[in-house]
Amino acid sequence: MGRSKRTRRLPLIAAVAVVAAMVLSACTPGGAGPTTSSAPARTLTIGATAEPPTMDPMAVPAAAGSQVMLYNVYETLVKTDAEGDLQPLLAQRWEVSSDRRTYTFVLNRAARFADGTPVTAQAVVDNIMRIKDPKVAAKSGTVVAAKLVQQMAIVSSAQAVDEGTLRVTLSRPSNGWLYDMSSTAGMVANPAGFRDLASASAGSGPFALDRWARGTSVALKRNQAYWGTPARFDEVTFRYYTDPTAMTAAMMSGQLDIISNLQAPDAIGQFEDPARFKVIEGTTNGEVVLGLNNATPALKNIKVRQAIASAIDKKALLDTVWNGKGRVIGSMAVPTDPYFEDLSGVNAYNPTRAKQLLKEAGYAGGLTLRLKPAALPYATRAAQFVASQLREVGVTVTIEELQFPNRWSDVVYGKADYDMSIVAHVEARDLGTYTNPNYYWRYNNATFTKLYLEADQAAPDQYVPDMKRVARYLADDAAGVWLFVLPNLVVTKPNITGISQNAPTLSFDVTTIAAG
Amino acid sequence: MKRLELGVGVTLVALVAAMAVVSFVWTPYDPIRIVPADRLLRPGPAHLLGTDAFGRDLFSRLLVGARSCLSVGVISVGIAALIGVPVGLFVAQGPRWLARVVLRATDIAQALPALLLAILLAGVFGGSTTTAMVAIGAAAVPQFIRVTRAGARQVLSSDYVAAARSAGIPRWRTAWTHVLPNIGALIGVQASVTFAMAILAEAALSYLGLATQPPTPTWGRMLKEAQDFLYLQPGQVLWPALAVAGGVLGFNLLGDGLRDRLDPRLREAA
Repeated sequence: MGRSKRTRRLPLIAAVAVVAAMVLSACTPGGAGPTTSSAPARTLTIGATAEPPTMDPMAVPAAAGSQVMLYNVYETLVKTDAEGDLQPLLAQRWEVSSDRRTYTFVLNRAARFADGTPVTAQAVVDNIMRIKDPKVAAKSGTVVAAKLVQQMAIVSSAQAVDEGTLRVTLSRPSNGWLYDMSSTAGMVANPAGFRDLASASAGSGPFALDRWARGTSVALKRNQAYWGTPARFDEVTFRYYTDPTAMTAAMMSGQLDIISNLQAPDAIGQFEDPARFKVIEGTTNGEVVLGLNNATPALKNIKVRQAIASAIDKKALLDTVWNGKGRVIGSMAVPTDPYFEDLSGVNAYNPTRAKQLLKEAGYAGGLTLRLKPAALPYATRAAQFVASQLREVGVTVTIEELQFPNRWSDVVYGKADYDMSIVAHVEARDLGTYTNPNYYWRYNNATFTKLYLEADQAAPDQYVPDMKRVARYLADDAAGVWLFVLPNLVVTKPNITGISQNAPTLSFDVTTIAAG
Repeated sequence: MKRLELGVGVTLVALVAAMAVVSFVWTPYDPIRIVPADRLLRPGPAHLLGTDAFGRDLFSRLLVGARSCLSVGVISVGIAALIGVPVGLFVAQGPRWLARVVLRATDIAQALPALLLAILLAGVFGGSTTTAMVAIGAAAVPQFIRVTRAGARQVLSSDYVAAARSAGIPRWRTAWTHVLPNIGALIGVQASVTFAMAILAEAALSYLGLATQPPTPTWGRMLKEAQDFLYLQPGQVLWPALAVAGGVLGFNLLGDGLRDRLDPRLREAA
């Protein structure tokens, strides 16, 4: 009896080991055979990190939907090109009135939605009204993310002058609005398809949604009737990997054509062989922000915020956390923004000053802060670095990693139940979020808001200097700590061309890509 | 052969315990201090097992990691035993219908794996060491109830218990003086096996980021952090993996060995 029991236990131990091994290896999603460019169907498989929570990119704040859909499935009146300039897309040309409040767009009459109906001025008006007014959206059974509603709030009227001409009037001049219109807020969907946006695409782009395998991939198929330059691929698949090592392994084994953004920058050495891989290094809009909850008693005090900012050696952080890829920025602006300047010298690394500031603020005896980073590779690593450096100046940090996006959105974004948090803000030109006192960092500063609105309404030649002033004010006030900007690290097979070096939009724009 | 097993088990467990104890008095380096200049060093005289991506000494972290592994083990086994043993004793002496109800309940509870329970708790309360301890402990309670009840029933049917009963000694005293000492070995074995399960569960949970939060070193966490560097520095994965495997194996062998030694019937069979 004893023997039989024991011989049962030893295999059990072995089984545990086997299961553990299986769990580790199960991180690699199977199912996808290697894709070759010589296959008759022209396919493109792209590795990505965050899966969209819904197929309607306008319904949620998550940027993952726009990565797949923007420009590929849904088109906008104007498009941001690789240099960050606006180019015609659905609008052939546009004019701005002398008071800079009225925009007249002349639509491209060739433009068609995937079902063949033409893209009319009225259709664009319907889209603008749906984004602007949650009640209109509700009538069509859809929701629109609050962020987009806010971006569209300055539109006072939108009307179709005729089939192909659209006039939009703003309540005040804005340098940012047209730029917002080139992104998620400006997506034009077929009004006939509003009701089903969450499951079926209704765009006018070169691709349409084919199928969504939840947790695994999103596949796009070629829009046969596309009105512009036909797509170069029949099928484009975005495959999602929460584990960067699994994505790297998939690329190494030939399952992927492209890694849209490498989440393991230390692994870049694996892609050195130019016969097998091409590596593109550029910059993105993703500011990795150590968000400070400006409503908490300690962080209301500018001295504490400045102390935290100067306690952190951002360059060393970047080297440790992201293998030195990316760039130290110093404020909520990135190198591709026209108003970018390197503000890393503001509240630069100086632990002695940090200790002095804490003393002046009355925290000489120590301070405990809760740090709740999103559970993403760059954020969890940066959190450990931040905790280690703050410890050196006498600030105790307790870390609680929050699953992203759901739990993080609930605790930090929704309830602001945190002192410090780390996540990347990937939207383009998103300085304006600091004007919203209800945004999760609870930054409520009338001077800043005034400066920002002035810059947004300034004459075009005054926009850049004004925005510089805004970015500098934010840095001086240490409203947050801008750790670094995420690099654009794209790995492709050598035959892939047409990927831009920088990623100035949310879109992973497939329309420019070709496989030779 | 059996001796050898027990010996290996005791050695491994002692090793883990020694690591934890030593870590309180001495570690070669500060296990949580980040040193950017020392990133990803290979094993050498300065750093016995090398350093991780933050430039932290892996050997120091391995030593400190033994602490959380043992503390989660001790406390979760404690929770399971403190609830499971009294309930098991009570059920063994109680009416038949009560036993039926409780046993069915343990069946149902056992269908819910410890990991799932922990993930559930972490979802509600957030991931922490306490969440992990409570979840692992709670998940092990049914096993303790069943083992205790089975053992206790055997003892309760013996002549000396009947004698004690007829002498008018109250039930709870019989349970305390006669039953408990006789099933002590059984519970010890169960505790050892549960301990092994707890180590594995703790490692899995901290691997998932749902147990002890960084920067406190744990073996599961080290495994996760090393995973991103699997191709660059495979050794980094090896050490915490070996530590977890050693701990689990140690407690399992210890449990087996103890049972063989303590259970008189098994000794005769051998």
